[in-house]
Amino acid sequence: MAQVSAPRKLGLGPGFWPVTIAMTVLNLIVTYGIIVFPIDSVLPEAAAPAGDIDALFKFMSVFGNAIFVYVTGYLVYFSIVWRRRSTDPPEAIGIQIHDNNKLEFWWTVVPCILVLMIAIFSVRIWWSLQNQIGDVLTMEAVGHQFKFEFRYPRLKASVYDDMHVPVDTPVTLQVTSSDVIHSFWVPEVRIKADMVPGLVQTLRFTPSKVGTYRIICTEFCGVNHGNMFATLHIDSQQDFGRWLAATSKSQGQSAGAVQLASGQAAAGQQLFGQKCSSCHSIGPFEQKIVGPGLGKLLSDPNHPNLVTGEKPNPVDISHILINGYQGPDNSAGKNAPAIGVMPNRQANALSNQDIANLVAYLTSLSQSK
Amino acid sequence: MAVAASHAGHLEQHDHIHPEPTTFIGKYIFSLDAKVIGIQYMITGLLFFIISGLLAEVVRIQLLRPEGGFVSNDTYNGVYSLHASGMIWMTIIPLMTGGFGNFVMPLMIGARDVAFPWLNLASFWIFPPAGVILFSSFLVGAPDAGWTEYPPVSVQGPPGTSLWCVAIFLIGISSTMTGLNFMVTIIKMRAPGMTFTRMPLFVWAQLATAMLNMVATVALSAALAALFIERTFGVPFYDPGRGGSPVLWQHMFWFYSHPAVYIMILPAFGFISEIFPTFARKPIFGYKMIAFSSIAIALLGFMVWAHHMFTSGMAPWLQLPFMILTMVISVPTGIKIFSWLATLWGGKIEFHAAMLFALGFIVVFTFGGITGIFLSAVPVDLHLHGTYFIPAHIHYVLFGGSIFGLFAAVYYWWPKITGRMMNDTLGAWHFWLTFVSFNATFLPMHWLGIMGMPRRVAQYRPEFQFWNDVCSIASFVLAASTLIFLYNMFTSLTRGKKAPPNPWNARTLEWQISSPPPYYNFKTIPAVLKNPYDFGEPLPYLGLGPSDKEDPHPTKPGGTPPEPAHA
Repeated sequence: MAQVSAPRKLGLGPGFWPVTIAMTVLNLIVTYGIIVFPIDSVLPEAAAPAGDIDALFKFMSVFGNAIFVYVTGYLVYFSIVWRRRSTDPPEAIGIQIHDNNKLEFWWTVVPCILVLMIAIFSVRIWWSLQNQIGDVLTMEAVGHQFKFEFRYPRLKASVYDDMHVPVDTPVTLQVTSSDVIHSFWVPEVRIKADMVPGLVQTLRFTPSKVGTYRIICTEFCGVNHGNMFATLHIDSQQDFGRWLAATSKSQGQSAGAVQLASGQAAAGQQLFGQKCSSCHSIGPFEQKIVGPGLGKLLSDPNHPNLVTGEKPNPVDISHILINGYQGPDNSAGKNAPAIGVMPNRQANALSNQDIANLVAYLTSLSQSK
Repeated sequence: MAVAASHAGHLEQHDHIHPEPTTFIGKYIFSLDAKVIGIQYMITGLLFFIISGLLAEVVRIQLLRPEGGFVSNDTYNGVYSLHASGMIWMTIIPLMTGGFGNFVMPLMIGARDVAFPWLNLASFWIFPPAGVILFSSFLVGAPDAGWTEYPPVSVQGPPGTSLWCVAIFLIGISSTMTGLNFMVTIIKMRAPGMTFTRMPLFVWAQLATAMLNMVATVALSAALAALFIERTFGVPFYDPGRGGSPVLWQHMFWFYSHPAVYIMILPAFGFISEIFPTFARKPIFGYKMIAFSSIAIALLGFMVWAHHMFTSGMAPWLQLPFMILTMVISVPTGIKIFSWLATLWGGKIEFHAAMLFALGFIVVFTFGGITGIFLSAVPVDLHLHGTYFIPAHIHYVLFGGSIFGLFAAVYYWWPKITGRMMNDTLGAWHFWLTFVSFNATFLPMHWLGIMGMPRRVAQYRPEFQFWNDVCSIASFVLAASTLIFLYNMFTSLTRGKKAPPNPWNARTLEWQISSPPPYYNFKTIPAVLKNPYDFGEPLPYLGLGPSDKEDPHPTKPGGTPPEPAHA
């Protein structure tokens, strides 16, 4: 059926082989560039699996580049060489060929081989990820809206915002979440795992480069998702030991009851501006930013009751400041607007005195007209 | 024999034809005619395209500065969620299937309508209300968790999230019905002699798409119903504290939404397979391989959904089959691209706007396909998942693929749909501006993602500002280039040149009748004798009359007998 109406001498068309050779040379140059490109100096490889993953990335870049250059190159070249020229009669048609079994066989087999090569290399790297050693330091990370919490076996309480790990020590990190799905990502380590409530996932890596790196939430988790960060400190062994000892000591001191009577409203006002006002206004309850307005917390009879179902009172407020607050208040009746999640005292870094001051300030707001 | 078959087909069709409506409402509002319904889909889809596109510009304005500040975080989250939902469900899917599927597919197979015109009418009339419901969620607090709406954060989300569930549920019903309708139409209503291997490749693409639409959409509907019930009545489908699982949503969502990316791209493959032979004046190269690769992609598309979930928490060994099957999809896709390239070889290529967009499609879609292979490898995905690399990839395949395909299709079929020509020079301007600004908008996002910018953020680190500004400024040019397109359409409608029946000298059936086609499409159902793309030979159809000149109304007997094909 295929009628080849082209003159035989045409072959593959003018300039086919020179163009192919030019593209191949370009590919070889780019391939060389990809191989020698120092990823480490652009985005540091700060822990064990990063180098492997970068190697796979480069491997795929080589193939991806080759395919893209050939496809685009031939597209442009064919478009130029086989364009309709103004001298062509209007009824001129192209070379009427329908298929070529040999060509189609090869352009099926070659991509299959490429895919196989990429798959084999990917599975190898995947296997090495499964077999990362860990367990010398085992710790946990918990995602909250919008904080990272870190738990160490040798610390009584959690730490927030700053994760410390010693260099050259295999780390097993178990991640989960207390509310919605977050994701734990350190670009310099190249790995991430979603922090899924009700599910514990394990990441293993061995830090190799002292420094501070970003921990980023990469799964949308609510209104402040874009500001959910923490810092990964890869410390020298000695620094890590010192940090652990210092943190352990300060946690021992902070225990003790909040003395509400000692609260200073003026100090509380200043603190409110620093720690609370991004989520709370001092207007009426309905004046919501993220959480409700707190200006009439004690005096507004229409204010929905707090978690306990009681009318708000200073002790209750201090409990919320200490423990944080999870989710919408279902006890408050159907008309209550949805309320976001309030971080607890560790997340807000509130001391006992801070809490007393804030309660004093909020109480004074409700008393003033 | 073919003539006899043609007569039989002609008579058989009589029973299924509705009389031509005479009232305005019957003609243009509640029409049963697939062509009118197709145009209705296109107008509605264009409207939602403009709204969703403007939302994208809000996103880019917000990201001009690291601290954002153009809109509040809440509004920003709603804006990008509705941008994506609007583009995917209210623009691309309806335009690909409901729009061009309805207008072009029945004409291409020589049918007078789709198999179930009333079902088609219902499919369409679900679509505008669904879109209105979706965008009206801004009034009560738009959904904020992106188009994927992963619970539990979507369970906490604003009231508009429930409206989002309803809107997507409705559009899902519409898609399923269209899928069923098209499948029956393509299998049962082809003109006599049009065997499966004589179908134009766009019809093959619609067949594969219809399959996906019918089978996959129900999974999404179930997931949406569960999310709605959890939000409204507190039944804990996705609440791990009460025995549910948030990962359940992800499995059900992606069991639909991965096939959905093929719903959005297979018809575009079909556009390209029609446009390339026409403007290269050559038969499509490797017809069978292109047709079968559509089906292969559709089938494989059901087996790869969990590649969106490598970081979500699933058994590690399960990652392997999903990774490898995903890589395997690149083989049939590659075959298509190589076949299109071979179609160009030895052609007499004319660069009308439709062809420019089709060529541009190959370049950007190939790039998007290659970054897709990167993402399919678990170790690389562990780095790139959830970063700006993902929006970069998705825009290369959905904008560079589907939207470029749709632009090409509009330029290509516009004369057939409206009976008027579009301005080719403006079309070329539109293409080059779009092509350059598209790449300037989305190429830097790959880099941002690799360097550590997560997606769906209203603020970002100052070190990313430069490339974000490049993206934003380029996106403004992209929007401006779309204005050229709108202007071109508008002036064509008001004072465009009248289009001849076959301005491109194409070979498929829809070009053999008048522009726009008469109410019943074909006075006589033609008989198909050969493949559709042999430019050197006489038209492969028997029984085609000059139906544009005569009354095509089949209830009035006494038309001309079937004529021999035009030479």
